[in-house]
Amino acid sequence: MTSLEIARPAVLENLEFFIQGLSRWLADGGMRPDCIKRVQLAVEEALVNVFRYAYGKGSGMVLLRGRKTEDGLFLIEIIDQGVPFDICTAPAPDLSCTITDRKIGGLGVFFIKKMTDEIRYRREGDSNVLTLVVRDKDPGVTPFKDKMAQAR
Amino acid sequence: MEIEKRKEGGVLIASVRGRIDAVTAPDFDQAAAEIVAAGEKTLILETGGLEYISSAGLRSILALAKALKAREGRVVFAGLTGGPKNVFKISGFETIFGAYDTVEEALKNL
Repeated sequence: MTSLEIARPAVLENLEFFIQGLSRWLADGGMRPDCIKRVQLAVEEALVNVFRYAYGKGSGMVLLRGRKTEDGLFLIEIIDQGVPFDICTAPAPDLSCTITDRKIGGLGVFFIKKMTDEIRYRREGDSNVLTLVVRDKDPGVTPFKDKMAQAR
Repeated sequence: MEIEKRKEGGVLIASVRGRIDAVTAPDFDQAAAEIVAAGEKTLILETGGLEYISSAGLRSILALAKALKAREGRVVFAGLTGGPKNVFKISGFETIFGAYDTVEEALKNL
């Protein structure tokens, strides 16, 4: 399959364009609809983080790139030239508190981690490169990362 | 995203259809503001037609729930399914709000 590459200004108005392009590419790659929805969620959360925080009050671009490996992994990269932000180090939200104590926000990064099999971050020159790794799998099948954990 | 409101036995039921993402969440906030302004206390959010929800949507729902809680009201969910059900489950929302299979069941448990 061909790779995915969409570059647009990092503004919320472009969210739909990115998600539609991504969804078509994933469907062309044979990904099942329920898995596409999971990836949509992870990528929306990652893109919205870039739109809101990467460039402060300034402006910039975001590049969405995707490729499928020979062993069936979908690798999706979100690249921006904003302030360095390692998503992997973001703290987990407290999911147990009551409505009154529950903080508004903080779930975006949590969803990115839950909806993918693996996330990787690297700072490359002046760019943040976030890689989401997704394996299309049947519901109920042990996630790849859990299998890795069990194997250790 | 579309929201349709109706009343059953004095309880407000809002049916949400489509997607609540970062783009459409402000539309939900607008509908929520109208519900709060109307002095409502209890809301059943019927989500059988909800296809997709992201953290932006959950943030909006939490803000509405906090506003109703401040006047001793609450929000419960009816008919969660598919991807949104999974999102509510893993985020803990299903537990802190209360979720029922149908509106009828939610009405009985209010």
